[in-house]
Amino acid sequence: MSAIASVLRRPVGAAPVRAVPRLELVGERLRSHVLAYTLLTVLAIAASVFGAVALNATAADAAVAARDLERRISEAERQHAELLVTVSTLEDPTRIRELALAMGLVPAGPARHVTLVRALPADGAHNAPDAELLLADELKPILSVEP
Amino acid sequence: MATEREPRRRARAEAVRRAPTSPREGARALAVRRMRVALGLFVVLALASVGQLVNIQVLRADEYADRGSRQRVRTVELAATRGRIYDRDGEVLATSVTAATVFADPRAFRPSETPDGLLRPAAGDAADVARRLAPIVGRDAAWIEDRLARDAHFVYLARQLDHAVGQQVLELGLPGIGVLAEPRRVYPAGGLAAQVVGFTGVDDDALAGIELHNDTVLRGRPGSVLVERAPGGIDIAPAPREVEPPQVGTDLVLTIDRGIQSAAERIAAQVVVDANARAASVVVLEVGTGEVLAMANVPTFDPNVRLEEDQDRWRNRALTDVFEPGSIQKALTVAAALEAGAIGREQRFDVADRLTIADKTFSDVSQHGIESWTAADVLARSSNVGTIRIAQALGAAPLHRALLDFGYGRPSGLGWPGEASGLLADPEDWWSTSLPTIAIGHGTAVTLMQIANAYATIANDGVQVQPRLVRGTVGSDGNLTPSAPPASHRVVSASTARDVRSMLEQAVIGSGATGALAAVPGHRVAGKTGTALKPIDGGTGYHEDRYVASFVGFAPVEAPRIVVAVMVDEPFPFYGGVVAAPVFSEVMHAALLARRVAPDAEGVDLATAIAAAEAARRRALDDAEALRLATEGLVTVG
Repeated sequence: MSAIASVLRRPVGAAPVRAVPRLELVGERLRSHVLAYTLLTVLAIAASVFGAVALNATAADAAVAARDLERRISEAERQHAELLVTVSTLEDPTRIRELALAMGLVPAGPARHVTLVRALPADGAHNAPDAELLLADELKPILSVEP
Repeated sequence: MATEREPRRRARAEAVRRAPTSPREGARALAVRRMRVALGLFVVLALASVGQLVNIQVLRADEYADRGSRQRVRTVELAATRGRIYDRDGEVLATSVTAATVFADPRAFRPSETPDGLLRPAAGDAADVARRLAPIVGRDAAWIEDRLARDAHFVYLARQLDHAVGQQVLELGLPGIGVLAEPRRVYPAGGLAAQVVGFTGVDDDALAGIELHNDTVLRGRPGSVLVERAPGGIDIAPAPREVEPPQVGTDLVLTIDRGIQSAAERIAAQVVVDANARAASVVVLEVGTGEVLAMANVPTFDPNVRLEEDQDRWRNRALTDVFEPGSIQKALTVAAALEAGAIGREQRFDVADRLTIADKTFSDVSQHGIESWTAADVLARSSNVGTIRIAQALGAAPLHRALLDFGYGRPSGLGWPGEASGLLADPEDWWSTSLPTIAIGHGTAVTLMQIANAYATIANDGVQVQPRLVRGTVGSDGNLTPSAPPASHRVVSASTARDVRSMLEQAVIGSGATGALAAVPGHRVAGKTGTALKPIDGGTGYHEDRYVASFVGFAPVEAPRIVVAVMVDEPFPFYGGVVAAPVFSEVMHAALLARRVAPDAEGVDLATAIAAAEAARRRALDDAEALRLATEGLVTVG
């Protein structure tokens, strides 16, 4: 039972108890609180300092990583631009023409279209009376994939 | 009186009261006085400090903050990459790569004093540095040494070098030598469309062509980054950085077709060699859209390695040079007369081989008797006399107005820097011989683009569309934003245009046609030859033996898709039908293939086609076998 509780339950008419012992007891408890608060404060300060240092270190690390990433992106962009130039140079029509001529290719001849004198099976001519004759047409395989 | 003496008495009494009554009290009073003096001094110093604090922190706070930033913060400019230039199919015509610029701090090669008065030795031996650097950057060692001897903090030693060269220089670790990264413009196709694309200078400034004309679009906006640095000049990595990223320039998509452009340049270069010509230009237009598919000028240059002596080649002759069109203008004269109702399509004229107006005699190239010719016959035979007869029926003012409508006397609308307007005098200034002279394409001057667009008008059923070189722009989202549709206006009716197209086809395939060599196998083409004497520069009259040969035409005749205009400057032989028409044929053939235009000429029967294919196959096999034998060294190909 605490001294405060004793005061509250003092019988009526009893002589008042001197407060000094009780004050000493309270003083003991206050000292333990101060120690705890001091420890907590020190801990908090230490944590703050450590946190600040850690955050700063993390930020520095991230900054270095970001710089490295920027450098790599820049290098990749540089390589992409140079590869684009290389591809475009290789695709130059003048160069391709010269290479083709060197390899024995010749310019395409004049474009013409062909006029068919007879209908073919692919044109629906197999229903015609002379379908059998048309199916035997030797030119058919060239111009039609129909059976 | 008593009142005046009272303060003196009180002062004396106070002095007596304060006077030390003993030596110890006197010392104490002295100490107090000293302390008061010291306190006063401290107060003064404190006030001065507070005043200076207010001055620094309040009154001149911004100034001191700026000075602090300047010492600590460095602004690094981030160069904006210039937009790319593509052809109509997305092939790269111009792009930018990272180049290395080598610089030096010449003062680093001499002993100097630090601000503290300490002697700072030279960073290195200039001669040795020059000797080691010269072979890498491709400069003379003496030249580099001379640059290092200058009294400056910064000199360029070499610019626009390959990135790898810059790396080599860095690896040497030479004192006082540094490497900067700068953008360099590259033209992967070399001289392809060089006068159209143009070029930039060493500082990435646009100097010519599309690069200059569309500089505001292509040029990006430079960015910047603010970095904090330590006293040694080293960047503080974790310090906050203010980055304003550069804005990359907008990409341009041209209307140029790289394949057609390449063919046009190759064929034009060949005719310059074959005909020993001074120059040649070819313009290829798409009918209906006004899009320029090719614009070739020979001689040309390579913008990657352009030389000062090539300046004459930098000009886009198809837009900046004018020439008297000669006979290619006759089609426009006939179109104007048909449109005005001055002549009929089937109307016949008695045409002699010469005609005298005022004191000047005009004659046809070939001698003939008096013939009864239609306008189609006149065009097919390129008759000067016949065309003059038609122009006389039309009149001066209507001819002048028609030529203006066709685009004479004003730029084409491309907005090209230095584009010529051509020459067409007002009718009030015409002489008695001006009408016949101008009717046959003399006494006036046009650019090749103007005459090509005039023919495109006839090919487009009489509606003229303003030519354009830019299809659109490509932003950062990668989407094409098309250019505004080109302006258009009607010049002649569709029926007049069809009539003239039919007549121009006869100028290629008709009996006695001057443009027979312009024919394209498998396709129906129409066009007109031109052969004109060159006027004397800065004088009057014409050269006796200098000609401009030309041919302008389109295909297919029924529904034209492509217009090709050819101009050959001072060729020999000089006839347009001999020199320019074959160029037209080849370029038109390449353009029709590239644009996948189906042949419209009379077809061949199947058996003939297969026989021809079989013959071609045998020839190819024979050629391949001959090539194989030749490469194996079994036979010698002569």
